[in-house]
Amino acid sequence: MVTESDTESIQVEIVPSRFLMPASAQKLLNEIYGNGGLIRIMIHGPNLPRSVPYGPGRGAPIDENRDLLIEVGGQAFELCVKVGRIRLELENAKYFDGLKAACERALPISFQIRRGKFFHTRQTITDYAKFGKVEDTRILGLIDPRAKKDRLAILSEEKVTIDDEER
Amino acid sequence: MAYKPQFYPGSTSVGINRRKHMSGNLEKLRDIPEADVTAIMGHRAPGADYSSTHPPLKEMGEPDCPVRQMVAPTAGAAAGDRVRYSQWTDSMYFAPSTPYWRSYWGAINCKGCDPGTLSGRQIIEARERDIEAYTKAQYDSEMTDVALCSMRGCTVHGHSLRLEENGMQFDMLSRTEMGADGNVYAVKDQVGIPLDRKVNLGKPMTEAEAKKRTTIFRADGIAMCGEVGARKYDEAVEALHHMWELRSKWGFRPE
Repeated sequence: MVTESDTESIQVEIVPSRFLMPASAQKLLNEIYGNGGLIRIMIHGPNLPRSVPYGPGRGAPIDENRDLLIEVGGQAFELCVKVGRIRLELENAKYFDGLKAACERALPISFQIRRGKFFHTRQTITDYAKFGKVEDTRILGLIDPRAKKDRLAILSEEKVTIDDEER
Repeated sequence: MAYKPQFYPGSTSVGINRRKHMSGNLEKLRDIPEADVTAIMGHRAPGADYSSTHPPLKEMGEPDCPVRQMVAPTAGAAAGDRVRYSQWTDSMYFAPSTPYWRSYWGAINCKGCDPGTLSGRQIIEARERDIEAYTKAQYDSEMTDVALCSMRGCTVHGHSLRLEENGMQFDMLSRTEMGADGNVYAVKDQVGIPLDRKVNLGKPMTEAEAKKRTTIFRADGIAMCGEVGARKYDEAVEALHHMWELRSKWGFRPE
């Protein structure tokens, strides 16, 4: 039997049974943030474009997808996706139960939570093409390989940056 | 005795619903005004003239053809309307209809239409005033649940995604929205251009009602082959196996 180390970081995926509204996403993210022990976190879901990307209505604005501001841990940022999945890394396993309880408190719907390996550890060719040699490996796995470099969202203790262009 | 089509085999609720869709013997659940359906389709402004590709048939003088004499043209064909489309997206989470069953409904019950079936969407093309009538029939009947089905000319991918928190099918372009009064409103036409007013589509079905009216076999609803551990082969499965066998063996003649 392999004894689990309680000093190594663990990776967790949370999948709600439905896509979250911005208010629910904000509540959930704040609960996760309040639980502590967070090394990095990624929110994942279908893109919410600011204008109709193709078809006869191309270019028509989608006001519903604009200004979806949420505030997490005192920092405001704009949602670019419909939140459907959250992947995160915790400092160690002792934060896991608290995280589960946080999800139960915040989510009005059923959800799945599981431990596994969700972020890659070695640079891919796409990472290299976008960033050159990555010094801070925490960024690996947080990047949508199809997104443009200036659409990346990087959250840290110091600042929250999001650059989103009109699409 | 006159022949009575059977349409689809099986005694499950899904089989019964599939028969209803194919036969066109559908319950009417709502009545959306024609002008609103026209606005959501987005091909012409409600009340505007129909654009045409040829003069009315009466003015054209048709050739002497026995088929033309036997088959009465549809209203749109008689007037020379342009061919237009309406395209539907039905969620995989127990939407009442699916692309195949919309197509069966169209091909069997709608004259002069061209249904196209794709994995996530279903399009019907017909002369403009005909397609407006067919679209209204789909909107008003139990083929459509306003939360789980929507008319989408493009960006249809919500059909295979999880539902939103409020039970609506995900739509990247936000063409429909759930109002505070519990009704679903269409705010854009089928290609995402905002409408000049919100169109009230009425209340969505409850989850239980959607499961009752669905034409989708699902393991967490009505499974085609019964529950795991208690398999029960419905007549639909037997018919499917029969068709599969005939298609597999088609043309294979060992001498």
